[in-house]
Amino acid sequence: MQDVAVLGVGLHRFGKTGDDVVGNKSVTELCRHAVDKALEDAGVSWRQIEAVAAASSRFSGGKGWGLNGNDVVEDIGSTGIPVFNMSAGCAAGGNAFNVGYSLVAGGMYDLVLVVGGEVMPKGMIQTSGVEEATDPEFLRQRCIGFPGPSFWATLARRRMHDYGTTEEQFASVTVKARKCSVGNPYARFQKEITLADVLASPYVSNPLRLFEICPVSNGAAAAVICSKRKAREFTKKPVWVASSAVATLTFEDSLPRGLAGPVPSGPSFHTEVKGAVTRAFERAGIGPKDVSFTELQDNTCYYELAFPEEWGLCEPGESERLVAAGETTPTGRMPINPSGGFVSFGEATTAMGVFQIAEVTWQLRGQSGARQVPGAKVGLAQTNGLGGNATAAILKR
Amino acid sequence: MVESSQPCVPGLFAADGGARVLGSRCTACGTPYFPKAASCHNPKCPGSKMEPCEFGGRGKVWSYSVADFPPPPPHKHDKPFKPYAIAVVDLDSGLRLVGQMVDPPSAMSVGAAVELVVDTLYHEEGKAFTTWKFKLA
Repeated sequence: MQDVAVLGVGLHRFGKTGDDVVGNKSVTELCRHAVDKALEDAGVSWRQIEAVAAASSRFSGGKGWGLNGNDVVEDIGSTGIPVFNMSAGCAAGGNAFNVGYSLVAGGMYDLVLVVGGEVMPKGMIQTSGVEEATDPEFLRQRCIGFPGPSFWATLARRRMHDYGTTEEQFASVTVKARKCSVGNPYARFQKEITLADVLASPYVSNPLRLFEICPVSNGAAAAVICSKRKAREFTKKPVWVASSAVATLTFEDSLPRGLAGPVPSGPSFHTEVKGAVTRAFERAGIGPKDVSFTELQDNTCYYELAFPEEWGLCEPGESERLVAAGETTPTGRMPINPSGGFVSFGEATTAMGVFQIAEVTWQLRGQSGARQVPGAKVGLAQTNGLGGNATAAILKR
Repeated sequence: MVESSQPCVPGLFAADGGARVLGSRCTACGTPYFPKAASCHNPKCPGSKMEPCEFGGRGKVWSYSVADFPPPPPHKHDKPFKPYAIAVVDLDSGLRLVGQMVDPPSAMSVGAAVELVVDTLYHEEGKAFTTWKFKLA
């Protein structure tokens, strides 16, 4: 194994089809912008890139929309390098980062590009593209009608039961997230929002409201990663990848992923996410208390409360108090999503895991402006996606 | 005239003689499955031995949510769309099953006792298409 560094990162600002930010740009155009920025940031030319790990949403048997890494390579220049297209639902970006990392760590390549980008179809994500009774996702949507927001709402409702969480407490997480996004030039939403605004937004899936659930966005993200030897050629102060891990859910998982499962013997939530984060901690030799800040997948505000507890960043049932005390803000004791998170960016599915790497890198370099976590030394990034996929990466300076 | 009805997906559930979903159970470790599984998913199971098993009767709501907006295809629903509750239910038979509620969202609570029923999901070409649902017991 050789040490791996993040040499350069780039984003295309997130937006909505037809707006002033992304207009009608294709996913290839969005990615080209992000890749150009990452190459520029790294001081690397396209011809030096030896391989590409791309986050791909072209599920087999699925839809015609989405990123294919080959399109990016053809667009920027057909140098003949290998392209690995990774599909893992919303975890695809984190998965691509892990594959890029593994290729460099394992000594196969010294300079690798990781890219993800998306032009999203409007509305709630259609999770099954086929009418096929052997597809569990088809059965779940046809026989029940259980879209993503309702899955999250089921967990939020259970948290209200377990810990007495109120709708105001959920809403206050969105208020905090949107405050972080002010001045973040890459966020789709860059304005503060009040508790009253959030509580006045309609339910998408009771108890979760429109402003508490990330919308779909268009956007792209890229990262240039390299071996330690290569890093020394380009910079004196690289950001290091302390660890990168991928996991899938385990048999003990108690959440309603499909139509049914055994009644669990105890609460065992998000086992894929816990698996990835635990492995990332173990491989890095870094514990929850050493983390300066976290970029986690907040498809809904619920996750800013639940995930830190599930990973040992704080105690079970403690999150609401930490949010109220301002401890999850960039200057707090446990900063969560200083970027503004998915709630401020919207989700461009395959870009998200790479977008997190960009934000963590800027934070560790001290380049995050108003949202900077003071003295950030260690950053944790996490994604999870349909099918029971999850990724975690720990970066340090 | 009695409305003709058929399951929205055949072979998954039955209504005659009491509502039940048609799954399987591993007789080696006891794990219940719905839909039927070809082999046991439990990595600690000593040996996958699957038998057909039907699940119905009563259970308790572990949690629930509301579909306040119509889900995208392949979901089908009657128009105008009427928000419905979705319950995650721990059946007494050991299966944690997801399903729509017959009762309105306002009637729901965590821990409520429910029973499995078969009910209409949507209408198409003059026919009612059914699915499994839960009803407050």
